Amino acid sequence: MMQENSLGRSMAHPLTGSVAPALIVAVFAAAFMTPGLLGNYEVEIAYRLMLYICLAEAWNLLAGYGGLVSLGSAAFVGVGAYAFTSALNAFGVPPIVGLLLAGLAGGVFAVLVSPAVFRMRGLYFTVGTLALGEALRLFMVNVPWFGGSRGLFLDADFPSREALFWWALGLLALSQFLITVYTRTRLSIILRSVRDDEDAAAQLGVRIYRVKLVAFVVASMLMGMGGGLQAYKLGAVEPYGMFGLPWSIDILSMVVIGGLGLRYGALVGAFFVITLAELLADYPEAHIVVTGLVLALVVRFAPRGVCGLVIDNWKRRRSETRGSEREVQP
Amino acid sequence: MKSDGQKNVPAIETRGLTKRYGGLVAVEDLSISFPKGEISGVIGPNGAGKSTLIGLIGGALAPSAGEVIYYGEDISKLPAPERARLGIGRTYQLPRPFLDMSVRENLQVALFSKSPLMSRREAAARTNQVLEQTGLAGAGNIAARNLPLLRRKRLEVARALMLDPKLLLLDEVGAGLVDHEIDELIALIHALNDGTRSILIIEHVIRVVRECCKQLAVLNFGKKLAAGPTQEILNDDNVAAVYLGAAHRTDPAAAGVATLTSARRKAKPDRATLLQLSGVSAGYGQARVLDNISMRVGEGEVVAVLGSNGAGKTTLANVIAGSLAPSAGKLEFGGEDVTRLSGDKLFSRGLAHCMEGRRIFPELTVEENLKIALRGDARRQTAQRLEEIYTLFPVLAERRNSMGTALSGGQLQMLAIGRALISKPRLVIFDEISLGLAPVVMDQLYAALANLRDSGLTMLVIEQDVERALELADGAYVLKQGRIVLSGDAASLSRNPSLRDIYLGEKS
Repeated sequence: MMQENSLGRSMAHPLTGSVAPALIVAVFAAAFMTPGLLGNYEVEIAYRLMLYICLAEAWNLLAGYGGLVSLGSAAFVGVGAYAFTSALNAFGVPPIVGLLLAGLAGGVFAVLVSPAVFRMRGLYFTVGTLALGEALRLFMVNVPWFGGSRGLFLDADFPSREALFWWALGLLALSQFLITVYTRTRLSIILRSVRDDEDAAAQLGVRIYRVKLVAFVVASMLMGMGGGLQAYKLGAVEPYGMFGLPWSIDILSMVVIGGLGLRYGALVGAFFVITLAELLADYPEAHIVVTGLVLALVVRFAPRGVCGLVIDNWKRRRSETRGSEREVQP
Repeated sequence: MKSDGQKNVPAIETRGLTKRYGGLVAVEDLSISFPKGEISGVIGPNGAGKSTLIGLIGGALAPSAGEVIYYGEDISKLPAPERARLGIGRTYQLPRPFLDMSVRENLQVALFSKSPLMSRREAAARTNQVLEQTGLAGAGNIAARNLPLLRRKRLEVARALMLDPKLLLLDEVGAGLVDHEIDELIALIHALNDGTRSILIIEHVIRVVRECCKQLAVLNFGKKLAAGPTQEILNDDNVAAVYLGAAHRTDPAAAGVATLTSARRKAKPDRATLLQLSGVSAGYGQARVLDNISMRVGEGEVVAVLGSNGAGKTTLANVIAGSLAPSAGKLEFGGEDVTRLSGDKLFSRGLAHCMEGRRIFPELTVEENLKIALRGDARRQTAQRLEEIYTLFPVLAERRNSMGTALSGGQLQMLAIGRALISKPRLVIFDEISLGLAPVVMDQLYAALANLRDSGLTMLVIEQDVERALELADGAYVLKQGRIVLSGDAASLSRNPSLRDIYLGEKS
């Protein structure tokens, strides 16, 4: 008989660890369905929260688990937004098809740029992806096909606030499902080995390029769908907004504050940053300063973010209560 | 396996294999072959191209010319992951574990990349088996980051074994082990040689080579110097000249514990205390590694710290050098209380630490690595100080403009020593500096240390090789499980029978 602990953490049953993500989705749904609990303002915030959680989860998969620290998130959000708008305008497809196409566009775009960006490692990859987002924005401004700098208007009815909420909830559920599967299974071990040491992983038979590409495509599909949903909400897309650097920076701040490479880092970080943004909504300059300050403090004093702090504290407590057991291992 | 029928096909063969780094030829026109199902060895001086050969076979490096043939198949063009999948497993000389993953996860990378659909039970059983086999059974859930150097080396072997390799390349896995650990390693290597698996060992620990390898190849300057049955090669005069040195022609096991040339040194009493530890304890988190250590190093004295792996020697060095704060006790250096001072402050007071595992800055050249240790006034004598180091290690002068990454293991070690010495410290801590050096270089190194000692340098030497350490030192402290269990002057310690017991009887 195999004992539980001889199987090890990563080999635990796949269902453990999928409870919390399901619970998060359920809490959003329950809150929304409880009559009178959420006003218009709260529904609006909840939408934004869910959208950003989805984007941050995708980025955490890339950067935290795969070591692919990207500053090009805006490119994929933008591609998704334009794909969604174009699909609805040109072919009159229903929104669900539009969203799927937005995800597909994000994924295909990732495949197309991967030969270029994967030639670079570490910081070079980061800078390369930054250039990617900016280049795409300039491209959209200057080519005649997508409305140039004015962008495109969506020829579809504005969705109701309720409908948007459900769309965002669906996206949240999808992201939780994908990321949970990715981080709780063998895929996670392979992906993290590439993060920690590409060369050593290659010597163990890991096909580096393929592993990175799969993570990149999954994350980009989620980002594309997030962009598509945002386009649906706004009813219009234009290059400066949809390909803007703030997307990339916001997502990064959330994950770093929440805890890079930790399962609930994206979630906690998105809550934190969006709450902060709402509290300081009347003072936009102060908001930027405070977020920047928090980011700097976290990087300096809690490199594993808020989640890391909590985990370390919990571990310390636990080892204090059963301290004698650990003394055997130097 | 298709080639099993053909008995004569070697496991691995190279034809005209060449690897150049810029102007430097690491491996030149090397044609060599190793039979399958047997244990073979590659020896040679530091910088002879041994690790490069491993890189070329494993696929980490692309050859500049020539072919690599694996069981009759040309794999020269295959990328590293595909070679791993064909059954070539390798270890890194300086371990490269996946730091932020547990030991168990480190092992499972190979398993899941090769067979992602293996059942959980089978995967766990296989992992446990290899953990057991490599002596890591209790460490499965520890993050690799928290493993000390020698356990990281075991992890290297364990990780490669998870590939179930047909050809296993072991790059200096024996370095730094004490006798009974070497016994275990030799037993492990023999156990791994199940008749179909071929093993290629690169090793400076001659005992491992002698007791494991059926045949040897000797590399020198990237070329094959000799190849043949182990005993023949080890008795070869050419090999002795370039690699083994004079001392190793006789069987070291028969030599017994240090035949001290103790007449060379008169007792020098009443030396001023340079370093004093009083009741020092230290550890990591909850784990206490050092327990109530008191010791003294006098001005101009050489003190050795002995003990088996895990006894706390490196932790002691880290505490003295200021990179780990003690949890109790007091440290005095040159009469000043330095218990709470950090490493850089101690360095500026003249305490240099030559760390285990070399720690060379890879992106800097040899000369830049050396210059980094020069601070303040010393910078005015840069040229002269560099010249002194280059005199000590001429090979560093030849390679002064090479990047840290381009050096061989032994050259890195010399650079680390040079970097510690160049600041003219009052006390140098040498932590396992002979790790991974060719025997002949080790002789030179210890000769150099003896010169430094005679010129009055104060040294704290942490060393696995008891004989060498006691020959060099004035006095020694022996650690066991974080406590000092023996101490005294080197001559009387070397005659003390319990010293041997502590090293050999560690199994209990």
